[in-house]
Amino acid sequence: MNGEYAAYARRSACEEFLYNEAYLLDDRRVFEWFDLVTEDIDYRVPVRTTRERSADEEFSDQAYHLKEDHESLRVRIERLENDFAWSENPPSRTRRFVSNVTVLDADDDSFDVRSNLLVHRSHEDSTTPDLLSAERRDTLRRTEDGLGLAARLVLLDHTVLPTDSLSIIL
Amino acid sequence: MSNNEARRTANRSPEGIETLMETVGEQLEDGQLPVSVLHNEAVYEAERRRIFGQNWVFIGHETEIPEPGDYRQRYIGTDPFIFVRDEDGDVQVLFNSCRHRGSKVCRSEKGNSSHFRCPYHGWTYTTSGELVGVPQQRNAYQHLDTDEHGLHEAPRVESYHGLVFAALDPDVPSLEAYLGDATWYLDMYVKFIDMEVIGDPHRWEVETDWKTPAENFAGDNYHIPMGHKSAIDAGIGSDTATGEKQSDLYAIADASGHSFSLYQIESDDPNFWGHPPEVVDGFHPERLSEDQYEVARKSGVTLGTIFPNLSFIHLGGTNAPEKESVGTFVLRQWQPKGPGQMEVWNWILAPENASEEYKERVYESGMGTFSASGNFEVDDIAIWNGITEAAGSVFAEQQAATTNFTMGRFGDAAPERVPDWPGPGETYVHGGLTDENQLTFYRSWYDAMQEEPR
Ligand code: FES
Ligand SMILES: [Fe+2]
Repeated sequence: MNGEYAAYARRSACEEFLYNEAYLLDDRRVFEWFDLVTEDIDYRVPVRTTRERSADEEFSDQAYHLKEDHESLRVRIERLENDFAWSENPPSRTRRFVSNVTVLDADDDSFDVRSNLLVHRSHEDSTTPDLLSAERRDTLRRTEDGLGLAARLVLLDHTVLPTDSLSIIL
Repeated sequence: MSNNEARRTANRSPEGIETLMETVGEQLEDGQLPVSVLHNEAVYEAERRRIFGQNWVFIGHETEIPEPGDYRQRYIGTDPFIFVRDEDGDVQVLFNSCRHRGSKVCRSEKGNSSHFRCPYHGWTYTTSGELVGVPQQRNAYQHLDTDEHGLHEAPRVESYHGLVFAALDPDVPSLEAYLGDATWYLDMYVKFIDMEVIGDPHRWEVETDWKTPAENFAGDNYHIPMGHKSAIDAGIGSDTATGEKQSDLYAIADASGHSFSLYQIESDDPNFWGHPPEVVDGFHPERLSEDQYEVARKSGVTLGTIFPNLSFIHLGGTNAPEKESVGTFVLRQWQPKGPGQMEVWNWILAPENASEEYKERVYESGMGTFSASGNFEVDDIAIWNGITEAAGSVFAEQQAATTNFTMGRFGDAAPERVPDWPGPGETYVHGGLTDENQLTFYRSWYDAMQEEPR
């Protein structure tokens, strides 16, 4: 394969993965989504603060909205399927828009992928959606069943979350 | 004027607030509260002045600004302040508004700086608020007395073992007097244990009135089996909620207007909110009375609300059933943002001398239970939001609809006053079955709303 084609194929594979998981989550097939997650998943949504331009970092390395491993993610997924999970029953309706997919780094079995994410979330009969916007930095890894999500860092554009609660996966 | 008319007038005009508050006073005696106070423009405006303008309000924890020059932007009600450690190491709470034309002199949420320089014309202030720089002063502003033009300070600032509060009203009693009997309970968290904030607080916007969660944390333990069934089914949360440990729940209904709930585990093994022995070794029993120590020893999850808008939960538990329980101390502030609207601020704290791994687990457990993504919190909020819609309705106004706080009032109910409880306050056993804590919150609120702004 020539290099250009390989890069194209890689990006396509990553895009396909990201689109597919977005469909699963928007369709509330959370267990199927969870099957895409590797056992050693490192999933983080750090807290962002408004800082001066000269500050090294806007994202905390101590404070997170989500900082999950396989076990704690599973708790969240299982809870969502419970009829008494009031935050998602009735469920919020989400629509994930994934774009600007870029493969930053790749070897034979793992890809570091950057993408943009816009989540449109609506509740009940409200016509004013909650909009969450973020950059995602993912590590996708080849597994026996195709690509798996091994790491995800969600860099939100918000310091104050413009949504009632984060009972959805980003 | 009938009650209904009074309420309708109140909802429309600031003048009507007095009549509405009269109704509140009468109804509270019967354990009722007009639901409209939870979503009402006039009430909100009055609260900004009477509640947030005239009481001690939480600003932050001293460990958030450990070094000289460390600062954080904070709010008293909706008023912007800078919480800063000055060059001498003292904590200051400065009004975030330039004395020249009022621009914000501090525009980032946190950082470290030796000065605050206003971006508009460059007036410059020290971290203790003194005006030390006025561009072209010699040509333009010679007459200006810089001593008179420092940043305004919050009139009162005091700390209680690391918890910093400020008051806009210079005439409030001392913080310690304001906390009063509540210090007996607070001591178990912040005097017994040197606590440290981990990272930055979570902040998120919620369409709920700030009083609803304040009331909930004051003692609504009745909602746990239903409201949090999904999280309990998932096997997480406190050891008492998951049924791992048996406990008695004590409701401290009136500790100088503040309220607490304490799950007490009768066992020879100490509990200390689930902190393991090696962590408990770093606590300070010598700073507690024997009675306080005994209550701390038996404590499972405990929670409470310091009037007006600071709540906390100290929870021995975990965010995944396979993971070991740790003790997490979560502080939250319900910041008013408009009628029926607030912003939640959530700080997770750990014992300062615990290991880094332990602190990390404390953080994860706190985040997984009580935060914007917390498996417990998210359901609370989904439920609370529904209240706001009804509270703002015309129908509720017409019907003079009330919310009910009569649980446990009558002779056939389980909760009983405990005469031999070692601590102060009005204490009930079977505390999950009484509304007295919530009534304490609303009585404090009612009393504060009676105070004409000075
Ligand atoms: S407004 Fe601050 S210097 Fe003019
Ligand atoms: Fe709750």
